[in-house]
Amino acid sequence: MLFDTYKDRVYSLSLYFFHGDESLAADVTQQVFLKVITNVDRFKGDAAFSTWLYRLAVNACQDAARRRKSGAIVADRARLEGFAASSSQEDDYTRAQNARCVRDAVSALPPKLRMAVLLRYFDELSYEEMAQVLHCSMGTVASRLSRGHKMLAERLKGVTGAGG
Amino acid sequence: MWRFLIVNVLTLMLAGAEGFTFVLASPVASQQFQFKSATFVFRAEGCDSTAPQITATAEGIVKGERKSVELKVASGPKPGIYAVFQNWPPEGQWLVNLKGACGNMTAGAIVPIGPKGFIRESSKILPRPATDNEIETTLRTQGGKK
Amino acid sequence: MFDRHVNTQLASYLDGELPAPERQRIERHLSSCETCRIECDQVRTGLSMVHALPLASAPAAIWNAIEAATHQTHSQPAWFRYRIPALAAVLTVAIAAILYLTLGHRHQSNWDVVGLQGSTAVDSKPIRGTSTVKPGEWIETASSSSARVQIGAIGVVEVGPATRLRVTAIRPSEHRLALARGEIHAKIIAPPKLFFVDTPSATAEDLGCEYSLKTDEDGSGLLHVTLGWVSFQWKGLESLVPAGASCRTRPHTGPGVPYFDDAPEELIQALGTLAATNYAGSSLDVVLRDARVRDTLTLWHLLPRTESPDRQRIYERIAALSPVPTDVSRERALQLDPDTLARWREALAWTW
Repeated sequence: MLFDTYKDRVYSLSLYFFHGDESLAADVTQQVFLKVITNVDRFKGDAAFSTWLYRLAVNACQDAARRRKSGAIVADRARLEGFAASSSQEDDYTRAQNARCVRDAVSALPPKLRMAVLLRYFDELSYEEMAQVLHCSMGTVASRLSRGHKMLAERLKGVTGAGG
Repeated sequence: MWRFLIVNVLTLMLAGAEGFTFVLASPVASQQFQFKSATFVFRAEGCDSTAPQITATAEGIVKGERKSVELKVASGPKPGIYAVFQNWPPEGQWLVNLKGACGNMTAGAIVPIGPKGFIRESSKILPRPATDNEIETTLRTQGGKK
Repeated sequence: MFDRHVNTQLASYLDGELPAPERQRIERHLSSCETCRIECDQVRTGLSMVHALPLASAPAAIWNAIEAATHQTHSQPAWFRYRIPALAAVLTVAIAAILYLTLGHRHQSNWDVVGLQGSTAVDSKPIRGTSTVKPGEWIETASSSSARVQIGAIGVVEVGPATRLRVTAIRPSEHRLALARGEIHAKIIAPPKLFFVDTPSATAEDLGCEYSLKTDEDGSGLLHVTLGWVSFQWKGLESLVPAGASCRTRPHTGPGVPYFDDAPEELIQALGTLAATNYAGSSLDVVLRDARVRDTLTLWHLLPRTESPDRQRIYERIAALSPVPTDVSRERALQLDPDTLARWREALAWTW
């Protein structure tokens, strides 16, 4: 039940953080849940379980990113588009195109902003919880989200220009 | 002498017709939803070789006091289309003074602002930046109409 | 006196994470600072764009790998072998309640409703102060009442008196209302194809703007746009209604022809008569006679609703008011070629 409840969120967080790398996202998700199982005695109950879980997820993503030593933020376009085709239920071509563009734009965000945006959207954490997960102040969370969403809007101008 | 003057007037007229100029419109003309709350949008025409330098200020009279506010001209994904958003107080009479430069060419516009946005009928498109006198006259006329 | 910019707080403002005094301070600042207003629009746009990201399904193989990893016990002491399954069981049972409590309220599957004046009901139950509304539920205001609905992160809808409004969809890619009767005033900032309001006779597709929409008991309606523009649609028929314009809609015929509110009164009345007579008749003479340059909005929308020779007369009148672009062929325009009409509308919009 635990795994079923959180697996897609942790997987989505990792997938979009690593620009659609399914293999890496699966590895990170596996590591996160293994850590949950083997470290549950360290969960003191002083924060919500989800906060603890996502802290593990964020750390796992950051560790994997360091190991990868990937400084280039390049969206794996083929994977992202293939992923979209297989998982999306949309039959609206416009919406599907928008989704692809948004994925690319999120992948292109600086890592700290990307993580904040993904945590907020997929995992619906409050600012307080995000501050605990990311080991920063709520003000920093707010600032990262503001900057991240602003950058998304700027990058997606071409997508959103159509209308009428 | 007369021929010289006529040729020069015609040259000036042609320069105005074919040169750098502004075309004003309501935000719907841009078809860019980022501009939906703009006071007005405009096109910069006749500047093909280089990106034009465009500045804007809001000039106004508030409770008898003359005010000037520098504005940011927003550009969107479609080249050559810009937007001006309200960044001046709601009270008083205001107009937007647009100035443009494209190489050796210049353009200008005086755009009076009313309660429902820019007043197209009173707007003036100029082949050069507006003079102080033109701005003051327009402001006084706006105040008189109120 | 300097009022510091609020750009780093815009996300928390839009997410409703700020206490009331701080929220009010930011609203005051936004009312006078265009720089921050533009950024606020951008942050709001970014917020709404993220809703296009679908949740990915974790492959089943992940759990298999976890099980395999936890069952690698041949080199481990017996107590460890039994510890893992026991821990997993304890974990699942012990945190089940936490999961329920922490997850339940965070799903964004409802919107906040605030009663502003008089009495408001959600799903036939009167509300006090603030409540929430879910898809499928009705919001109803009494005759002297009003309410406000927070439409996720993209805007608000003010609900007028004697109004009956249903929430039909709250999805990341679709926010949808159905207005059965009464009046709403929407202020929305969203990309196209995200926010819709259905009425019995047309659907308003929000393109990021502010407008009021009224529906009568018989299903006829009136849309009035104050900011931005709205696409009013019904069965393939579309009316584009910009700021400062209105558009009526009727059951079984869909959206009418939009007109600017400052158009000559006789033109507006003649348009109403035309709509009632299926856009044929002598009232067209009045429309053509009184149309100004910006009334090409009305004339352009009349083209597909009329037949020859009226359509030719409308074409000629538009051409007289505003030069026809060189890439708009008369013949193709009269044949109602979609690309031709779209190019013409794009050019005419600069005069609206």
